[in-house]
Amino acid sequence: MPLTDPDLWTDYLRETLQCYSESLLRDVTTRLLKPRNQWAAEELIERSLASIDNAAVVDRRLQDLDVASRSVLTLIARSRQPRWRLGNLLELLTALGHSQGPQPVLTLFEIGLLFPDLLGREVRQGADAAAKATAGQASLKTFEQWLGQAGGSGFVVFAHPNVMARALACELELPLLPCVEGLDGAVHEADGLEWPLRLAAMWQLLTESPLRKTQGGDFFKRDLDRLRTDPRLSAAPAESLADTPDGSLLAAELAQIEGLAQADQAELRVGTLPAWWDAGLPETLASLWAALPLLETWNPLDGWRTTETPGNPYPSAYLLALLLLARLPENGWADPDDVEVWICEKHPYWQGEELRPSRRRSWIPTFLLGLAYQLRLVQAAKNPAGEWLVRLSPMGRWVLALSEVPAPAPAFSQTLLVQPNLEIIAYRQGLTPALIGRLTRFAQWKNLGAACMLQLDAATVYRGLESGLTYEAILQLLESHGMRATPPAVTESLRTWANKRERISIYPSGTLFEFGNPEDMNEALARGLPGVRISDRLLVVAGESDIDFRHFRLTGTRDYGLPLEKCVEVDEDGVTLAVDVTRSDLLLETEIARFAEPIDGPSMSGRRRYRLTPDSLAASRQSGLGATDLEAWFLQRTGQSLSPAARLLLGGCQTPAPELRHQLVLHLASSELADGLCQWPGTRQYIRERLGETTLAIAPQDVDALRARLATLGVTVKW
Amino acid sequence: MSKPTSGTRIPVKLHRRVCLIQSEDALLAEELLASKKLSQDLAGRLTDQVLLVRPGRVDAVIQELQRMGHTPRVVARDEGRGTRDEEP
Repeated sequence: MPLTDPDLWTDYLRETLQCYSESLLRDVTTRLLKPRNQWAAEELIERSLASIDNAAVVDRRLQDLDVASRSVLTLIARSRQPRWRLGNLLELLTALGHSQGPQPVLTLFEIGLLFPDLLGREVRQGADAAAKATAGQASLKTFEQWLGQAGGSGFVVFAHPNVMARALACELELPLLPCVEGLDGAVHEADGLEWPLRLAAMWQLLTESPLRKTQGGDFFKRDLDRLRTDPRLSAAPAESLADTPDGSLLAAELAQIEGLAQADQAELRVGTLPAWWDAGLPETLASLWAALPLLETWNPLDGWRTTETPGNPYPSAYLLALLLLARLPENGWADPDDVEVWICEKHPYWQGEELRPSRRRSWIPTFLLGLAYQLRLVQAAKNPAGEWLVRLSPMGRWVLALSEVPAPAPAFSQTLLVQPNLEIIAYRQGLTPALIGRLTRFAQWKNLGAACMLQLDAATVYRGLESGLTYEAILQLLESHGMRATPPAVTESLRTWANKRERISIYPSGTLFEFGNPEDMNEALARGLPGVRISDRLLVVAGESDIDFRHFRLTGTRDYGLPLEKCVEVDEDGVTLAVDVTRSDLLLETEIARFAEPIDGPSMSGRRRYRLTPDSLAASRQSGLGATDLEAWFLQRTGQSLSPAARLLLGGCQTPAPELRHQLVLHLASSELADGLCQWPGTRQYIRERLGETTLAIAPQDVDALRARLATLGVTVKW
Repeated sequence: MSKPTSGTRIPVKLHRRVCLIQSEDALLAEELLASKKLSQDLAGRLTDQVLLVRPGRVDAVIQELQRMGHTPRVVARDEGRGTRDEEP
């Protein structure tokens, strides 16, 4: 999830307001911007968006709000996540002592500072803007209507980043926990790279093959095992003070939220490496912090949970935990257990008497000393009794918008040790999310310890080249970040693999220009046609959008995305094929050459003739073109099946050997007579075979006996 | 591209949405055609170094080429000018 991009959310808000009924829209905008004129709905929407963008207007509306409503926006702002489940927001309000139920949220809806998520779509660069939830297209008449519906979005609301920014100025009423000041022990702070590394490994795991999901949304056992046993994802973090249960599944969910994985009903497949990793570690960690409220299948108590488990109070509890730490004085340290006690006392989920004892197990220390610590949001130190205490780190304070971005640590750009055996050791001191992203594209992470190891091989380098990297770019990265010169063996391997990739080019959907003569093609190239010659009259262009067709007069067009045309006739001999050249295409001309020979002579009346011969069909068989392929070709191109003559040439040698026999043929006057002879016991023993309706095959040695028998019936056989 | 000179449009026959493989040399094209599995997805040989792929079979061809140990470069249209390589 990228940091909140106001422009993206403005577009999303516009579409959301378009789902409001006109009366509701007027009610909201009346309170938001207090219009003096009667404007049309579209005008109201645009002016509302302009008001949201106006800090002074937003500040005035915030001042008009009650404490609870203001707190909702401040909580959302501190989380950096514009989109929240309504239930989690109500939990936060209750924990802060506001027990008005959803009224503060309704107030914010009515004043136009918070909005129901009617569209249920991702708001991110590159997200599919065309995919609109059908629920969002219905006209919302009242907010109570939305609250009363069992919405597919699960009652999700969102705030615009501009409103969030102004709400940061408001205070939250949180207590000061007991704290210890002036600890002498060493302060522990993680480097913050653990989760970018794990997400990079997750991305690589998905490039190998996607993870398949059951209809219920869980992973199939084989893929679950694959996740849990992956050595990179299942290893203990390099820096952690508490175990993070089911870390590999947490990586899968975070990858999905951050865009490194794309999910649909059937599988989780590879996405894209986040562009915001190039902005640096603070932006990367802020994005991961903003992703925590969206976690649904993982929590620090259970690890990975199936979606059937009801209730997800953890997003609100994460935010409360860090906000409590934010109240500590500068040198103050808190016991994670004290944080947990407060949350369990105030959070409505843990206040419930019907809550099972298993749900009351401790988990906040696991979260603070595990995930929060790994994200560099908290620091830890031991008290004299040897117990861990925590406080917000400078990064944590910045992520919660309580201070300026912390000064970056001194950079160690030479942090890679490239070895002749194509292994790369990457020391974490010099790693950055940007470097992690680039290394991920062309090398394989092997382990993610204090010194990470990567492996270069043909497949990984190929992956990098296919993603847009060049041999020179890969080499330059290794050189600029290497602690010593790149070994010649590595350079040579990279060059070999890069060159190998140049051996075969595939144009999945190219446009082929067929010129009448080489001079025309040269003229086209001189005029700037961006193509590659493939013969003296043929030129291929990867796509059509860069072509200026004003230079050309099209004498014919063939679209190979359309069904193939029937343009071949079969002569009476069954083996001569006449191709209509005006309707044929490149596919036909290359295919037919594989199993038929051209007949010499110029084409007559726009037809080119080919003939099937035993040699041509034998050659096609050797090249892998079988009877089934030819049958399909004939049906497509001629509209009829393979001719009997063609079948004979193609498969005659594969049928049982024919047999030549000497036999006498008895010709009868009628088929009924033949039937009688075959049926009557007196004669049927002498009939070898019925050849036709009135012809029977007789063995020579049976002639006399048959004649004698027929004579008894008064039938004389002419012999 | 430059503006066309009046009356000098170049006659051309256009073949759209063609899937083809261009090999480094004719020998490599022969090698690909000799593969029984690959040849089922190939329509034929357009030139010494260019093979036509049957419609709808490009993904299978790419996979088979990779299985054979090749690393084909997939050339697709960039949003800007010229071509850019993409992940298969």
